[in-house]
Amino acid sequence: MQELLGRIARLDPSASLGLRVIACFDELVVGNVNTRALLSAAASLAGCVAGFHQDQPVRSLRVNPRGEVLRDTTAPVPPTATTAAGLSVWLERVGDALPNDAIILERLALAVRIRHGRSRTGFDHRRDLGRLVDMDTPVDERMAAAGALGLGATRLYRLVTAPLFVVWERHPRGPEDVVPTVHGPIHAVIVPAQPGDETLKASPAGIGVATQPQDLHHSFRTALVALRLCDPPRVPTVHADEYGGLIGLLADAPAASAQPDADRLAELEAHGWGAATIEAVIHSQSVRQAARLAGVHHSTMQTRIDTITTLLGFDPFDGFGKPRLGTAYLVWRLRRSRVLELPSPTKETRT
Amino acid sequence: MTVAPVLRPEFDAELRAGLAVVGGMFPPTITDDLIDFMRVSYASPPMDDVLRDRGIAREEHVAPGHLGDPIEVSVLRPPGQNGPRPAVVYAHSGGLMFGDRFSGIDLVLDWVDRMGAILVTVEYRLAPEFPDPYPREDMYAALEWTAAHADALDIRTDRLVVAGASAGGGLAAGMALAARDRGGPPLVGQVLDYPMLDDRGITTSMHQFDGVGVWDRVSNQTGWRALLGDACGSESVSPYAAPSRAENLHGLPPAFIDVGAAEVFRDEAIAYADALWKAGGDAELHVWSGAFHACDIFAPHTAVGQSMIKTRNTWLETILAD
Repeated sequence: MQELLGRIARLDPSASLGLRVIACFDELVVGNVNTRALLSAAASLAGCVAGFHQDQPVRSLRVNPRGEVLRDTTAPVPPTATTAAGLSVWLERVGDALPNDAIILERLALAVRIRHGRSRTGFDHRRDLGRLVDMDTPVDERMAAAGALGLGATRLYRLVTAPLFVVWERHPRGPEDVVPTVHGPIHAVIVPAQPGDETLKASPAGIGVATQPQDLHHSFRTALVALRLCDPPRVPTVHADEYGGLIGLLADAPAASAQPDADRLAELEAHGWGAATIEAVIHSQSVRQAARLAGVHHSTMQTRIDTITTLLGFDPFDGFGKPRLGTAYLVWRLRRSRVLELPSPTKETRT
Repeated sequence: MTVAPVLRPEFDAELRAGLAVVGGMFPPTITDDLIDFMRVSYASPPMDDVLRDRGIAREEHVAPGHLGDPIEVSVLRPPGQNGPRPAVVYAHSGGLMFGDRFSGIDLVLDWVDRMGAILVTVEYRLAPEFPDPYPREDMYAALEWTAAHADALDIRTDRLVVAGASAGGGLAAGMALAARDRGGPPLVGQVLDYPMLDDRGITTSMHQFDGVGVWDRVSNQTGWRALLGDACGSESVSPYAAPSRAENLHGLPPAFIDVGAAEVFRDEAIAYADALWKAGGDAELHVWSGAFHACDIFAPHTAVGQSMIKTRNTWLETILAD
């Protein structure tokens, strides 16, 4: 995998190889793989032999970049080994250390300690940022994590979320990490909430609502929903703020919750005009305005709205019709979201 | 009308970790506009150091391809070769649209330095610039060239094997069919690694992995459409291009077929092995649990990757080694 990391760096000099190393070990820890597999990954990422030694009972293991276990385990633990709780791991680099060596060794050491049940935090391998954005972490632990990340307790921040293979045009500064979610590993960055902040330009990326550190778990969940609403290149970035409280409700709705309006809306997929028409209706006060926005004749729009009204069972311009349609539309987009499945490199920045 | 979740086997944990890296250079879904990107990202790295470290000698030849056009062929020889050796004619991976004759070659080099075989790896021309029949007929021409120049190349014609991975696996199966039908060089084996066999995309597995892993349904469609254009999926597609379409699989050399349980080609690979058996043929089929497409190329350090490589090499060793 060292060779693949090199290719990624050549294709996209802005790519953070360290985050990929972290994501790789996160998956290994979640998968609860054994020491041999952890050493194999480290050796493969580094392109040199990775070693392991435990004091009691005495056991040593050395694995080469091809994942082959070496027979010779008599080599002494080198002085460069990372040692804790009677466990040592190291990389047998000949010559100067390479830029990724430190992060590979750090993640390997942590993963090995967890596999052996020796990590300080037991099986909770998550780091400060991961603890901070987890609603189930007790509030005092979350605040301790915020402190460790250098956040001010009463200042406002936002979570920015992106897939691992996001294309950053402008990368914001702030604490960042890879956080495991039901949607897979997510790249999360904490940024100060400043009006008109232009330090971020990325595709795709979701920007959460502004909160104080103790509520950043909420910002994280809204950022995830915002991310899933992205549809690059048409919609590269989504701000949770655009949707106010609605996005919070969506963030907290169980994945399998019944959404009959959205179910019915799915039937509009058969019509080529479905999404564009709904967008126009949501942003309009009248049929005439919707027709103008969608660039169709008034009577055409009226026919489409009649179709929508018949299908959904309510008139989108009447009473709660608009918020109902808006909510159903967002749920429908989330269900169809491919943004986390399609981490495709963009043509303009990478070819 | 609720959206039913797609049921699919999970990726192995070590391989899932590998995808965190692989996804950066090989996105799961490849569309037409990504072909140029893939030609850069999947290009093989310089091979000279690797070959020198393993003591493998490299010769460059120009052979006549389809319609006699010149194509490049590399002949890789085992260390200290003296006298004629068995040979493998190899078709590389890359979805018929990208890659080169050294793509994914690391695994195959074991056959050269550990088994003493000669590897003939072919720069067949790529779609969409060179649609069907260019890729398959370039490969077949290279097979004919190899057999015709066996003396000069110091190759044993009684131990000639065709092999390929992914798109190359489909091309290797096509070579075996064509060699049988055209009275071509006798073959003692065909190695079909997770082969791309069927342009119709009709199996269950083809629809289970949209947007995940390596090479999904859309990527596969992109590859076949690049090769076949509007003929894709029609009755006019040649079995030499899409071997799943062959109606007669009798009289083919022994086949080794491996494929991941968690990849789009699972079902067509199983079906091809089954069809070979039904035709009285010899096929060894391995379906690797938790494996994504070509995981042995991208993550050879994993337990699954190593099992795949070892199992394949064991099979080939029984056929090729002295």
